[in-house]
Amino acid sequence: MKRLTGFFLGVLLLFAASWIGLVAYPYLTFAGLTQSKDDATGALSPQGIAGTATQGARVYAANGCLYCHSQYVRDKDEGTDIDRKWGSRRTVARDYMFDRQVFLGTSRLGADLTNVGVHQTDAQWYYKLLYNPHSLGHEAVMPAYRWLFETRQIQGQPSVDAVQLGGADAPPAGYEVVPTGEGKALVEYLLSLKRNYPLPEAPEATE
Amino acid sequence: MNAISESAETKVELSAIDRSVRTPVLLFFGSAVLWLVIASLLFLLSSSQIHKPDSWWTLPGIPWLSYGRVYPTFVDCFVYGWVASTGIALGLWLLSRFSAAPLRYPALAIYGWAVWNVGLISGVVCLLAGTTTGYPFLEFPPYAAFILYLGFAMVCLPAISIAWHRKPGTLYISEWYVLGGFLWFAWMYATANITLVNLPAPGAAQPAINWWYAGSLFDLWLTPIALAVAYYLIPKIVERPIYSERLALMGFWGLALFGGWTGMTYIIGGPLPAWMITAGIVARVLMLIPVFAIATNFHRTMTGAFGGLRDDLALRFISTGAMIYTVYAVEGGIVSLRSVAQFTQFTLITQVHSELGLIGFVSLILFGAVYYIAPRLLGREWLFPKLVTTHFWFLVTGLGLLYFSLTIGGLIQGFGLADPQVPIIAMSDLLQPFLTIQNVGVLLLVIGNLTFAIAFVLILLISAPAKQREVVFDEPEKAPDNSAAEVSVA
Repeated sequence: MKRLTGFFLGVLLLFAASWIGLVAYPYLTFAGLTQSKDDATGALSPQGIAGTATQGARVYAANGCLYCHSQYVRDKDEGTDIDRKWGSRRTVARDYMFDRQVFLGTSRLGADLTNVGVHQTDAQWYYKLLYNPHSLGHEAVMPAYRWLFETRQIQGQPSVDAVQLGGADAPPAGYEVVPTGEGKALVEYLLSLKRNYPLPEAPEATE
Repeated sequence: MNAISESAETKVELSAIDRSVRTPVLLFFGSAVLWLVIASLLFLLSSSQIHKPDSWWTLPGIPWLSYGRVYPTFVDCFVYGWVASTGIALGLWLLSRFSAAPLRYPALAIYGWAVWNVGLISGVVCLLAGTTTGYPFLEFPPYAAFILYLGFAMVCLPAISIAWHRKPGTLYISEWYVLGGFLWFAWMYATANITLVNLPAPGAAQPAINWWYAGSLFDLWLTPIALAVAYYLIPKIVERPIYSERLALMGFWGLALFGGWTGMTYIIGGPLPAWMITAGIVARVLMLIPVFAIATNFHRTMTGAFGGLRDDLALRFISTGAMIYTVYAVEGGIVSLRSVAQFTQFTLITQVHSELGLIGFVSLILFGAVYYIAPRLLGREWLFPKLVTTHFWFLVTGLGLLYFSLTIGGLIQGFGLADPQVPIIAMSDLLQPFLTIQNVGVLLLVIGNLTFAIAFVLILLISAPAKQREVVFDEPEKAPDNSAAEVSVA
């Protein structure tokens, strides 16, 4: 029995090393991160996301966006993310300190979304893309997310959120295509993805 | 005289042991085969969707069958439904055999089987309905994960208890791996669910924990199960003891030492302290030491008996799987180097590398194990040996097409991603031919797995006529006594 105890002990202690290093250590240390204060303006960054954008993160997870889109920028010597204008600096732990859930992702069949809210500020752009990925000239492997929209009869004034669709996608006269609550929340979330504030530990990349 | 009576006694004991684990093992096999069929169909659907997202036959517009839900559901069905279920059954069988003791609470294992499957069903339904945790490999919502874990505990605690109360003697290599795998999985699954879902970790700690889990899942749960089977069945089928005890020890403790760290290589360049990522890369590369120790051990054990690959179908599956393990580990080491990862990270190579491990290495060995064990537990033979060879060739051809198309496609994608002049949307055009070939590969693979399911249903339902009995496998009594292959722990 003595030998079996030693075996179990060895098996568990070796695994404990990785548990301490990769689970306990980040769990405890990343909880202590604080915002960075800009010396000139006094602005604190990063700022957490709020309101519908947090619900949008759930929609992002539920529809598996993370299986084709990543959300981190590698440093200049680890890849060409910065040359691709996916960010002007690498992302660091502090960038994610307020995220209830972090979606780093391991695939880039689609574009990186770390700073998508910086590049595309118009909600219509996202609605059109989600309704029909081909509408923006994409020969994409991205599927359409039609269930995030509904076609309904126009009551009085057309809705401000109505998706401006042309060609074959255009709804019949007197009808409009509007995003559902989930669709709106998802786009709110994507618009909130802006990790372009300065952080001392990740200086802007220089040539 | 003495030797003969002894071996007869051993045989009687063995069959009593087999009887005690027969029902739970067969139940786990049965549900695992069903999950394999479901996973295969989801795999075919998701691989078609990535190839032709707009075609009617990829079912566009149905939210619960959209790629973003089907793909993770396929992975979870495959990992937990097929691999882990079979792994639990094999662990139970191996531990009770080696401990030379019947299972203590067979009813508990049967209830555990039911609970485990309730966990799987609820998890899969939730995933398709869009209720997911959003953490790769851990998508099951907390209640489903809890039920799954409870089922696992109900089967594994009695299994570990047989090993604990075993007759004094040495632990065989397979037992190290089963016991290690059970303990590691119990630890990693509880930790990951608690720290990601129940008491969510702060921001950037989540990916560290998530990929710690994913790496450990592969190296310290799925791999040990497959190796336990290979260490038991290869020497048994070729009727020779394992070549070296030292190599076996090195392989096991090396895996235990490095296995928990390898997951960090999924997020090279990620927002974590550099030492974490470096530790992952170092672990992946050093992992080649135990892998080569294991490979040498299998190779030397089989030297002179390679004819068995042609004659024994179970051995063919198992040793092909063991060879793919080496390929898988070497590729894992290469794509983890920072200079290579620059190009291969985020590409289809990441995906197909996991699939090579899951299908080529682990599943091939598990298939071999089911082919070997099911007839012995049922006292029957496989009805049509042709189905088994069909399964093998469809599987190997399909996997080959899938692997080479996505590896070459992934390299092209990687060089495209590395060049800022190539717009990301142009990549889908470049990838089309490769996605077409992988689609064909997955189709062949799925046909192979369906053949396996048919063979399994047939052996459950129909007792083969006597004249076919000797065709596929040796009778168990021809196998040598295990003690020749037994070695002690350090």
